[in-house]
Amino acid sequence: MLNEEYAVHCLGLTKKFGSKVAVDSLDLQIEPGTLFSLLGVNGAGKTTTIRMLSSLILPSGGCAMIHGHDCVKEPDAVKRLVGVSPQTTAVSPRMTVFENLVFMEELYGADKKTAQRNANEAAERYGMTEYLHSPSKILSGGQSRMLSVAMAMAGGPKVLFLDEPTLGIDVIARRRLWKVINDLKGKITIILTTHYMEEAEELSDRIGIMIDGRLRACGTLAELETQTGLKGLEPVFIKISEGSL
Amino acid sequence: MKRALIFAKRNMTELLRDPLSYIFCLGFPIVMLAVMTLVNESIPAESSMTLFRIDNLYGGIVIFGQFFIMLSVSLRVASDRRSAFLIRLFATPMKPFDFTAGYVLPMTLTCVMQTLVSFCAAYVIAAITGYSLPVGGMLLSLAVSALSGVFFVSLGFIAGTLLSDHAAPAFCSILISVGSFLGCIWFDGDSAGGVLLTLCRVLPFYYCTKAVRAAVALDLTPSAFFVPLAVIAGSAAVTLAVAVAAFHAKMRSDSN
Ligand SMILES: Nc1ncnc2c1ncn2[C@@H]1O[C@H](COP(=O)(O)OP(=O)(O)OP(=O)(O)O)[C@@H](O)[C@H]1O
Ligand SMILES: [Mg+2]
Repeated sequence: MLNEEYAVHCLGLTKKFGSKVAVDSLDLQIEPGTLFSLLGVNGAGKTTTIRMLSSLILPSGGCAMIHGHDCVKEPDAVKRLVGVSPQTTAVSPRMTVFENLVFMEELYGADKKTAQRNANEAAERYGMTEYLHSPSKILSGGQSRMLSVAMAMAGGPKVLFLDEPTLGIDVIARRRLWKVINDLKGKITIILTTHYMEEAEELSDRIGIMIDGRLRACGTLAELETQTGLKGLEPVFIKISEGSL
Repeated sequence: MKRALIFAKRNMTELLRDPLSYIFCLGFPIVMLAVMTLVNESIPAESSMTLFRIDNLYGGIVIFGQFFIMLSVSLRVASDRRSAFLIRLFATPMKPFDFTAGYVLPMTLTCVMQTLVSFCAAYVIAAITGYSLPVGGMLLSLAVSALSGVFFVSLGFIAGTLLSDHAAPAFCSILISVGSFLGCIWFDGDSAGGVLLTLCRVLPFYYCTKAVRAAVALDLTPSAFFVPLAVIAGSAAVTLAVAVAAFHAKMRSDSN
């Protein structure tokens, strides 16, 4: 039975592309306010999972719910609750950073004034004030990445999906983003994917490790360490991913 | 509706900052009007061929220009559909109607602006060639072009939604060749008559050109103006509805 107490709840969630099983009978419960890191090697099925949970693609089987709303039957309700920072940077090229932020705020129902205030606050928080009024297509890779991530927070989502948010972001900006994420912890539910183990270690409440579309291990870092008898996320991840658990 | 307007504003901003849209939408009719006027000047007066005289030419170029806006809409929608930004918007509460209206509104506005540019250019050309254009008729043609604009933009939107960014412009080019011919932009269908005229009257393009020319001439008889106008309104409504449905279907099939 699916429980609406959970922020994210999947039962047997499966996605096939032709004969390729990208996500294989995923069972997952995430409590509200948790920061959950979804880890796995390239092609493990992380992005596909996020795309199903944000109602972007339809599962081939099983079901998924966001705060009790079915991702297939109630996509509109789900889309109002979630924010997504996709793996590929997604910004409107000829609009400025500020206009992009205001656009997203307005899309989630903010009036002009609120949208502009939130956009200015976001720019401050993410360190984007210097290039606030530059068209986003002239930004550097990391700068537009930051904008893309900031846009996911527009409208105050209850569940936030961050697919490799810090990809291509410099050390200083990364620390700044970590602080933003840490500030959000406990307030909203965050599902994060990353290939940086120290990032997952720094931020996660719980960690799930996927292999070939299956969730192979799931728990707090301490629990995973006990299971593998190793210390630190990197060795734990390597041991589980190489299938020696 | 609110989200449609927000998205329309975004598209308008992108459009206004794209130099290509100025060439496509604004430079194009001026060049066409000037070139075809030169052609007209070299037609001997005895031939009594008035198709390229500025009043008739203007009506044809207004519609011909909208054919090109159709092409640019299809290209924009088809390439936007593949962009990470639009896919990312699918995860927001935006509905197929919001996406469709968000493109159709600003692009229709572009159609009207294009007509306005043609209007001014035609006025100058008329003054030079010693022909006078009725201002009332020209203003009426702006209103007609808004309506036919919805039709052409929706058509481009459908092509951009259902086809790839390679196929959509190719398809629209074919439509431009066939449509501008059967739309009687380059020849006088009414005096040609016969099977050709029947063929022209099957498609909406003929009525678009006819209504704009009738508006300029202030020929507000039912057969010259109101019937064609009704056909345009009907075609605009149908293509717009198909556009929303097509986008909805595409959003669904893409999510598999
Ligand atoms: N649209 C698609 N069509 C066919 N196969 C797909 C599609 N999307 C993903 N896949 C396949 O599904 C598998 C999982 O892909 P996914 O993008 O979820 O991996 P990931 O864990 O996010 O990897 P990465 O760390 O590289 O981002 C891969 O084998 C991929 O090739
Ligand atoms: Mg991925």
